[in-house]
Amino acid sequence: MADDIKRKDAQMRATINQKLVETGERDRLKDLLRTRLIECGWRDQLKQHCKEVVKQKGLEHITVDDLVAEITPKGRALVPDNVKKELLQRIRTFLAQQADN
Amino acid sequence: MTSCGHITEYKSKYGTNQFRIIHAYFIAASSDNARRRKGKSGVCHTCRFPSFRLHACLYCVYFGCYTTKHIHEHAFSKNHNLAADMTYGTIFCFECGDYVYDKELESIAQIQNEKAAKSLGLKSYNFIAWEPTEVEVEILRQNPKRRKVENKSTIGLRGLINLGNTCFMNCIVQSLIHTPVLRDFFLADKHNCQMTSVEAQQCLVCEMARLFQEFYSGNRTPHIPYRLLHLVWTNARHLAGYEQQDAHEFLIAALDVLHRHCKGYSDNKCLSINKFFTGRNGMTSGNPHHCNCIIDQIFTGGLQSDVTCQECNNVSTTIDPIWDISLDLGPGAPIPNALLNVNNSSSSPSSGFSNSPGTYEPTSLLDCLKRFTKPEHLGSSAKIKCSTCHSYQESTKQLTMKKLPIVACFHLKRFEHSTGLHKKISTFVSFPEELDMTPFMSSSRNNTNGYRNQIVQESAKGLSCDNKYSLFAVVNHMGTIECGHYTCFIRQHKDQWFKCDDHLITKATLNEVLKSEGYLLFYHKQILEYQQ
Repeated sequence: MADDIKRKDAQMRATINQKLVETGERDRLKDLLRTRLIECGWRDQLKQHCKEVVKQKGLEHITVDDLVAEITPKGRALVPDNVKKELLQRIRTFLAQQADN
Repeated sequence: MTSCGHITEYKSKYGTNQFRIIHAYFIAASSDNARRRKGKSGVCHTCRFPSFRLHACLYCVYFGCYTTKHIHEHAFSKNHNLAADMTYGTIFCFECGDYVYDKELESIAQIQNEKAAKSLGLKSYNFIAWEPTEVEVEILRQNPKRRKVENKSTIGLRGLINLGNTCFMNCIVQSLIHTPVLRDFFLADKHNCQMTSVEAQQCLVCEMARLFQEFYSGNRTPHIPYRLLHLVWTNARHLAGYEQQDAHEFLIAALDVLHRHCKGYSDNKCLSINKFFTGRNGMTSGNPHHCNCIIDQIFTGGLQSDVTCQECNNVSTTIDPIWDISLDLGPGAPIPNALLNVNNSSSSPSSGFSNSPGTYEPTSLLDCLKRFTKPEHLGSSAKIKCSTCHSYQESTKQLTMKKLPIVACFHLKRFEHSTGLHKKISTFVSFPEELDMTPFMSSSRNNTNGYRNQIVQESAKGLSCDNKYSLFAVVNHMGTIECGHYTCFIRQHKDQWFKCDDHLITKATLNEVLKSEGYLLFYHKQILEYQQ
């Protein structure tokens, strides 16, 4: 039973993902997120943080994966709530529109 | 960053075509067709799920998740050492164990990304991170002293000596100095004075540039703005002398002079904004304010006026550039119910309306704006000739915002001269820290936003931050119409408030600001558009 729900859930995710890609909405959302994160200084903050990590570990001893693992918690925590909220609402609107059609 | 040997080897054997195709169809996807294909087949070939870090093998048709290491399994079992990240287009080399960079492949990706961004009308590709030019690098090298602006630093705060009833000027200067985009313009040294060196002595924009230098010099003693005052006297003669003046009048005069003195170098850029202010009927509004100078870029908004003929319902529309919005206080006609609903957005408190059918007095900035944008019946004494039915008819006029300025300046008309008796209206008018202008936009007049679904409509309303503003300066007037004193509150950093009373600067709280008797309210747009 639980497996069934899990399977359906995964299927739903796949369908939604497909819709998001097909309509270009995924790129639009990404664009919106990018703009908002640039505007609020998130990009600059993370860039600074990356520089510090690279300096600390040395350019020769760090891979992109290391860097990603290092900055991800901070990156997630620094996304302002209103940006998350706006994105969520955009996704809701998109889904409602899709259901409407 | 140098390209790794494995890529060089790969390119000499297979060329760049495989990457180009994968990038065009499954990464950038610049056409509807490509996007459909990407949506359908963008799944891991091992687990069949669309993971968010899919990689595409550069040797054969295989997509695999990175996080579950399906792509790694493929790479090692088939000995295919390169794969492209399907979100960002970067190349992973399994032999080097890291992402690698290749100029040639990057430039292919760049071209295709731009094409895709254009096809969807995306904006963020217009963003270019700041890189210093050679000249700037040289200036930085010659001036090695750095000053880090921290949250508690008070740089930028400086009092202004009162030179004899010049508080009306001081409070406007403080507001302008703390206008973020104006500050960025002047501190980046963007004013290129086109006047001759003799004339430049008279240039108010140059004086502003000097003022910014004074404010940000780190000097803590109050500044004496005698040069500025002299320039104001010579450029706006009606403000000359030691009498008390109206701060709003000074603001408009200052903007006008600044705008005129900017003109020298902005003439060639005038076209773009002119195009915008060409009304719907193809006629220009004939206002001289169309230019692209820093003052117009920051302060100019577009006010749309729709006059509807009562006879044939023809609407004639004009759009005028405005620098500020003057709002009536005191009793006025009640707002029709229909309009109340339009503006009933989630954030606006519906207080402040007396229910009596006669008159009401606005008690909040939102009330004032609702009154400002409500349809107004032009009575029989103001008949206008309708361009469609060619007769003189009564009509309805409605004002809305067509284009929002970066800085919105609201002028609460506390000084009443119209009724014969001159008096000051000291009613408390509340104003928010954050203001959403969406309900007052021309596009909100037809409230459906193009969506049929009620839920979609509702969520679309509070959705966008595009029309949101933050308060950053408030000018207050104490006293009576004949005699009084101006002070102002200004915002530093993101949320620190200070009260400027001529030469005195004191710390203030947001609550004090919001409880004050505002006269001029300065709001800053939260989000600035990229230039296309």
